[in-house]
Amino acid sequence: MTVSADNARMAQLAVDEWGRDARLIDLLSPVARLRWDVTFADEVRLPAGPALVVVNTRRFALTPIAVAWALGDELERPVRFVGRPDIVPFGPLLRRSGGLLARADEVAGALRDGALVLVGASPGLGAEHVGTIEPEIVGAALRERAPIHVAAVRSSATKRHIGVEIDHALRPGRRRRGPLAEVELAESAQTRLRDLLRGSTGGVADLAAARMALRGSA
Amino acid sequence: MRGRRVLVSGMGSELGSLVASLLEAEPWVGELQGIDVDPPRRRLRTAEFHRVDPSDRERAVELVTRFDPHVLVHVAVWEPDARVNTATAHRLTNDFATSILGGAAECPALEQIVVRSAAEIYGRARNSPSRPDETAPVAPTSEFGRMAARIEATAADVGHRTGVAVGAVRLAPVLGPHVPSPLGRLLRMPAVPFSLLADPPFAVIRDLDAATALVAAARVGLAEPVNVAAPGAITAWQAIRRGRRLALPMVGPEWQLARRLSHLFGAPVPEHVVEALHRGRLIDRGRAQHLLGVTPASSTPEVIDSLYAWPSVVHVTRASLQQRPGAA
Repeated sequence: MTVSADNARMAQLAVDEWGRDARLIDLLSPVARLRWDVTFADEVRLPAGPALVVVNTRRFALTPIAVAWALGDELERPVRFVGRPDIVPFGPLLRRSGGLLARADEVAGALRDGALVLVGASPGLGAEHVGTIEPEIVGAALRERAPIHVAAVRSSATKRHIGVEIDHALRPGRRRRGPLAEVELAESAQTRLRDLLRGSTGGVADLAAARMALRGSA
Repeated sequence: MRGRRVLVSGMGSELGSLVASLLEAEPWVGELQGIDVDPPRRRLRTAEFHRVDPSDRERAVELVTRFDPHVLVHVAVWEPDARVNTATAHRLTNDFATSILGGAAECPALEQIVVRSAAEIYGRARNSPSRPDETAPVAPTSEFGRMAARIEATAADVGHRTGVAVGAVRLAPVLGPHVPSPLGRLLRMPAVPFSLLADPPFAVIRDLDAATALVAAARVGLAEPVNVAAPGAITAWQAIRRGRRLALPMVGPEWQLARRLSHLFGAPVPEHVVEALHRGRLIDRGRAQHLLGVTPASSTPEVIDSLYAWPSVVHVTRASLQQRPGAA
C-alpha cells in the first residue's frame, strides 16, 4: 500500500464531532437504496448554513433516517436527524448514522455548529398523518436563528418510493417574547405540513405531479 | 497591564511547566512563581519555583500571600491513575485547592483566577447531552469529574467572596509525549479493549494546545467556563486501528477483568476512562475561539496519530545532548 493510500485510509478512520461516521453511511447507503427510493418533488432549496427541517413520519417507517440520508446525498453535506435512543446497541449505531438525542440543547448545539437537522413530527399510521411537533425543538432553532422548513413526505408501507417536497422557510406569525413563539411556530409547521400533504396550498412544487409519480412507481 | 504577578500552582506537572514556559514569553507577565510537590519538568528561565508538601497548608498559604499575585493559574489537578492512584489524586487535588485557592482569597492584589477543569465535569449519564456546551448542567459521574466540579465550586466561591473574575478551562483528555495520561497509556498498550456495542466517539487535546488555552484565559481575563478540545473526534476502535494495535472487543462483565489485567501490565484504567470508552466524551468547543482567541493546532485524529508516534523511551546520548540548541 502506498503512503498516500495509507493516509487516505487513515483519514477515513474518524468520525465527525457529533459521532457521525461518513464511511459507515457510505457502506449502508446502497442497502438503504434497496428499501427506499427517495425523490424530491422540486429543486431542494435549503440554506448553506444551519437549518431545521420538520417532516411528517409514519410509525415504524424510519422516515427521518431515509430522508436525512437522501437529503445528505442530494446536498452533499451531512444531514443529522433527531431521535436516537441513548441505549446500546441502537443508540450508538444511529449516532454513527447521524442521529441526535431528542433534546433541545443537543439540537441547538448542532445548529450552532452549522448543521442541517431533520426532525420528525410524532408518528402516526396514516400516510398523510401529521403528528405534533415538539415546541422545544422548534424553540432551539428560533434561539439559534436557524430557518425552519417543513418537508412533506409521501410514503407507503409497501412501496419503495418516497416523495419529498421541501417548502420555503416558515415565518413566525405574531412577534412573541415568551414561549408562545415556539408553541405557535410548531403549530404553524404542523398546519403547513398538513396543507402540503392535502395539496390545499400553492406550494413550491406540483403536488399532483408528485402524487402521480408516487402512484406511477407503485 | 504589564508587570502582572502570576502564580502557577501545579508548575511541576507537564502541563503546569508548559503553561509556565508560555507565560514566561508573555509581555504582560512580570514576576512568575510556581508551587508544586514536584519540580518543573522543563527548563524555565525566569520563573521562581517553590516545592511544597500539599499537606503543609501554612507554608502554601504563606507563599501565596507573600507573593500576592494578580493572576492565579491553578493547574494543580491530579488526574486519577495518571501519576498517582485515585485516592491519592483526590487527596492531593483537594489539599492544594484548599491551600492555594484559600490563600489566593487573602491576596489584596488578586484580580483573576483561572482553573484547569475537565470535560468529565458534565458526566455521561443516560440521556445527558452527547456534546454538552458550557451551559449544560454540571453532573459528574466519575471521581475525576467530581474533583473538577469541586475545584470550580471552590474557585467560584473565592471569586464570589472577593469579587475577582474566575475562569474555568474545561479540557478534553490531555495527551502529550510526556503527559502521564491513563487514556494515552491504555491506547498505547499492544492489545487494547474497546466497547463492541457502543464504541462511542471522544475528543482529546494536545498538551501544548491545552497550555495555550490556559495562558489565553489568563491573558483575556476569562470570567466563565469554556470548553477546550481539539477539532474532530475518534472512537476507540478507530484509534486502535490507527495505532495498529490488537483490538479486544468487550461487551460487558469482562471489562472488570480487562481493567485488572491492564492494571497489572502497568496501565490502570480509572472510571472516567472506562466511561469515555463506554459513553464517549465530546464537548461543544464552539465558544473557545470567541472567548480565548486561540484554536487548537492539532485535531483529535492527529493527536492520536502522534500518540502512537511518540517514542516510549527516549535514549539520550552524549552526541544528542551536544546537538541540542544552547548546549555548551
